[in-house]
Amino acid sequence: MTTLELQNVTKRYGKETVLHGLDLAVADGETVAIFGPSGAGKTVLLRLIAGMAEPEEGEILMDGEDLIDVAPEDRSVGMAFQNFALFPHMSAFDNIAAPLDARRAKREAIADGVHAIARLLKIDHVLGHAPRALSNGQKQRTALARALVGAPKILLLDDPLRNVDAKLRFEMRLELPRLLEGFGSTVLYVTQDYREAMALGDRIAVLMDGRFIQVGTPEEIYLTPATVAVAELFGDPVINLFDARVEPSGGGSVAVVGSARLALSPGYANLYGTTVTLGIRPENVAPAGAGTAGAIAARVAALLPLNDRLVRLLVTDEGAEFYTSRDFGGETAGEGARVNVTAASQDVILFDKASRRRIAPEGEAAVIPAAPVGREHRAGRVSA
Amino acid sequence: MTASVVLKTVNKIYAAKAKNPIYAVRDFSIEIAPGEIVALLGSSGCGKTSTLRMIAGFEEVTKGSIAIGGREIHMLPPARRGVAMAFEGYSLYPPLTLRQNIAFALKSERLGSAETDRRVEEVAKLLELTKHLDRYPATVSAGQQQRASLGRALVRKADLYLLDEPMGQLEPQLRAILRGRLKRYLREHGLTAILVTHDQTEANALADRIAVMEGGVLQQFASPAELKEKPANLYVGTFIGEPPMNVYRVEPQIADGRVSLRAGETELFGYDAARMQDAVVGLLARQSSVVVGVRPADVAVSPANGRGGATAKIVSNQWIGDQSHLESAFGDGVIVATLDGRFAGSSGETLSVSVPPEKLHIFAEDGPALAHGRHLAGEP
Amino acid sequence: MQHMSTGERLLRGVLITLALIFFLFPIFWILLMSFQTNADILRIPPSLFFTPTLDNYVALITGELKTASGVLKLAFMQNLFNSFILSTASVALSLVLAVPAAYAFARYKFRFSEDIAFTLLSFKFAPPLLVLLPLTIYFQQIGLANTYIGLIWVYQLITLPLILWIVRGYFEDISPDIEHAYRIAGHSWAKMFFRISIPLARPGIAAAALLSFIFAWNNFVFALVLASADKQPVTVGALAFVTASGIQYGQIAAAVVISIAPTLALALFAQRYLVEGLSLGAVKG
Repeated sequence: MTTLELQNVTKRYGKETVLHGLDLAVADGETVAIFGPSGAGKTVLLRLIAGMAEPEEGEILMDGEDLIDVAPEDRSVGMAFQNFALFPHMSAFDNIAAPLDARRAKREAIADGVHAIARLLKIDHVLGHAPRALSNGQKQRTALARALVGAPKILLLDDPLRNVDAKLRFEMRLELPRLLEGFGSTVLYVTQDYREAMALGDRIAVLMDGRFIQVGTPEEIYLTPATVAVAELFGDPVINLFDARVEPSGGGSVAVVGSARLALSPGYANLYGTTVTLGIRPENVAPAGAGTAGAIAARVAALLPLNDRLVRLLVTDEGAEFYTSRDFGGETAGEGARVNVTAASQDVILFDKASRRRIAPEGEAAVIPAAPVGREHRAGRVSA
Repeated sequence: MTASVVLKTVNKIYAAKAKNPIYAVRDFSIEIAPGEIVALLGSSGCGKTSTLRMIAGFEEVTKGSIAIGGREIHMLPPARRGVAMAFEGYSLYPPLTLRQNIAFALKSERLGSAETDRRVEEVAKLLELTKHLDRYPATVSAGQQQRASLGRALVRKADLYLLDEPMGQLEPQLRAILRGRLKRYLREHGLTAILVTHDQTEANALADRIAVMEGGVLQQFASPAELKEKPANLYVGTFIGEPPMNVYRVEPQIADGRVSLRAGETELFGYDAARMQDAVVGLLARQSSVVVGVRPADVAVSPANGRGGATAKIVSNQWIGDQSHLESAFGDGVIVATLDGRFAGSSGETLSVSVPPEKLHIFAEDGPALAHGRHLAGEP
Repeated sequence: MQHMSTGERLLRGVLITLALIFFLFPIFWILLMSFQTNADILRIPPSLFFTPTLDNYVALITGELKTASGVLKLAFMQNLFNSFILSTASVALSLVLAVPAAYAFARYKFRFSEDIAFTLLSFKFAPPLLVLLPLTIYFQQIGLANTYIGLIWVYQLITLPLILWIVRGYFEDISPDIEHAYRIAGHSWAKMFFRISIPLARPGIAAAALLSFIFAWNNFVFALVLASADKQPVTVGALAFVTASGIQYGQIAAAVVISIAPTLALALFAQRYLVEGLSLGAVKG
């Protein structure tokens, strides 16, 4: 039963403040993904928790007790480093054994512990190798095994998949949650990859310039990003942004983007006449029929295949660039083709133009629930 | 200004006279049309960088020839080959500002200062560098240095642009934006470019055609779509695609008008033979064992209904915004499916999974592709 | 990996040969001299053909030098022993002091750390004669003149800065994350220092120790001023061969051969470490 709490944690290097009064409460067994661009202070935060540096202000509480005066070796923390940080002069076995060795465990107990975790991570056949004789994937697993083997109360994972190839990164992303669940540790997972953050985090804490901009479930962050910056960090291709004027139309409201008019969800009546920043994610920019009212007319400037989708870079007549990753059906809509696109009202996110914060519609409902199995998902492809 | 590129049986052999010569690149031949963007893609050590360095002139060609615009250049010094190159290690001149670094590339073109400024500003705007132009390399981030290096290559007029991991140092978000920009820029100026990358997302997004390399040997040279739909062999099939292709070793059994692909006792995929192409059924009938590959995007799932399709038990379900990645226990192994939007299954639930026959990739056990969906490998 | 033309290859061979001759010829000539009598050595023109003799070595080892004007006592073996004691002890003391200090300078940024580190290095720039005269007076007053301890202390001026700066570069090359990982695994700072930091810096420590040993061994001026006959190392002891009846070139040559033999052997043995250690240190330090 381990909780971790940060209270007003502030870290300065010389005159530069790298972490500004961070507050975060992590529940027992919870995985929180610390996500942000490089230089945001993610690694510094982990170092503070591990005891490799001290905050100038604030408290770090483990199960309610302040950790500041506790030496790193006494914190019951496990950590996997981005660069693996394996001990180059020791075998993989000795690397993994280090935490057990520190507790003066019996030789057989150490061997048992190391072999058990090595089997789980499928590196039992390379335990005798020196780190330089391991592949990147094996190094990464060795580092992970070393972090896990002592069953630490708090597990700090500093972008552990950054330096492994794409295929392995994907496999590990699928595998990690199960592994972590088995250990029951409370986990902070630092990453620069929003997919990892969404897939692994029970919650995500978005860290930018030393501040938590938003802390919430993946749903909250993706569907209701607190700021334009958060919206831009999640999603590939990046969210499309337009300047738009909010106006009444019939019974509801519309956002006027150039010559196009996009319907808005109810709750924005207070914005009439103001100019806002309008965001639509590329997967929500859908092809519109020729007759669709208010659609955005654009030219396909470039085709960018992205994994299993075909992304199109579109340019409006006014010169605004934006992306769509939607399927344009049988018609190819190749480079140079003219298309009409639109977006559903629930997929439109509005931001204040000055503060760049999201504007919640009045009476906003809770997060949109996931669709049940088989209803929305490729129903047409299910074979009979 | 824009030229074709022809590499003819290019070899890079180290220690050629030794007992065990090392083939960094072996009999590599491709033809690139003027204005085409080509990516050399592969894991580290596959020979892609050696190939690029041979084109640039930093490595000698051990055997073979390289021609740009019909002119053989592989014996010329780098400066006379008419190529511009952006380096992975950015290699800017430290005492010059980013603006001077980029403008430096224009020295040989002897332009007026107004024209130089205009060109520098143009690429700076393209690469989001305008704000940083008057700073020195040491005071800007790795990503900004890399963009300046890219700018220095693009600002020049050259017959061919060589881009070595041009975006490796950039933040993912900016990388996504610049991919689109860069492609548009190359297109609109009709430039021929060769890009070296280990990142297939980048190769797919930028390149008209991709040369997949492994062990110094060209595995396949084709458009991104063709690599995905008709991989020449199992290596290309599993290398291209994120998440990677699911692969299973199966024994085909054909009886009573039914094609059954089995792993031991379990039927992984079963089809009505009438729904499959005769040629493909015939092919399967002749093989005792094949490897089938299934792209995660081609896996269809539905609630377990006992009406066909093999059952699979969800092991993990990860939502990443525009897609869900679903991993399920299937046969002796697992099957990964990517589904649009957010999928609501949780681990432990049972599903029916199936793959339409036209989406099956069939490989011989030793690697070469035998058939893709309705077509035998090698057919148009 | 550019190929070279035959001409280039030939030129390179010639240049390397010239450099080798330039550096190795004196050693070769000394070796020849050590097997010659003074008369052979002084013959004009010099000749490669002579009757080899072991007299020079015998004289050094027995400690008796027969010259035209009588028999001279030589303390060469004592000198050799002194050299060993002084160099070994100086390096050992320096290692004990400089390795932890190098670690501190590499890892911790404390007030004036750069200035202190630089001051220590600057001892190597100061002309030894500048510090020698005052030191002699102090040492005589506190009774350290002509003692091993006094000499070892002064030798720290040679060995300590060298070890400090080479080893510091090595410690800086070790990723702090590796050390942190060991701490987080539950080990104390001391265990980390001895199990991680020291072993990883070992090539650098070995190279630095070797190099400072050679420098200490070759030192002349400190020992010349601060030590009298019974504490003199070989470098100073060789002066005894400049006698009233002439310079004993044969014995000098034999003494040189014997005294460079240990350092040469050490250097050859640890060549790999030396080159690697020095070049790494040079890049970082």
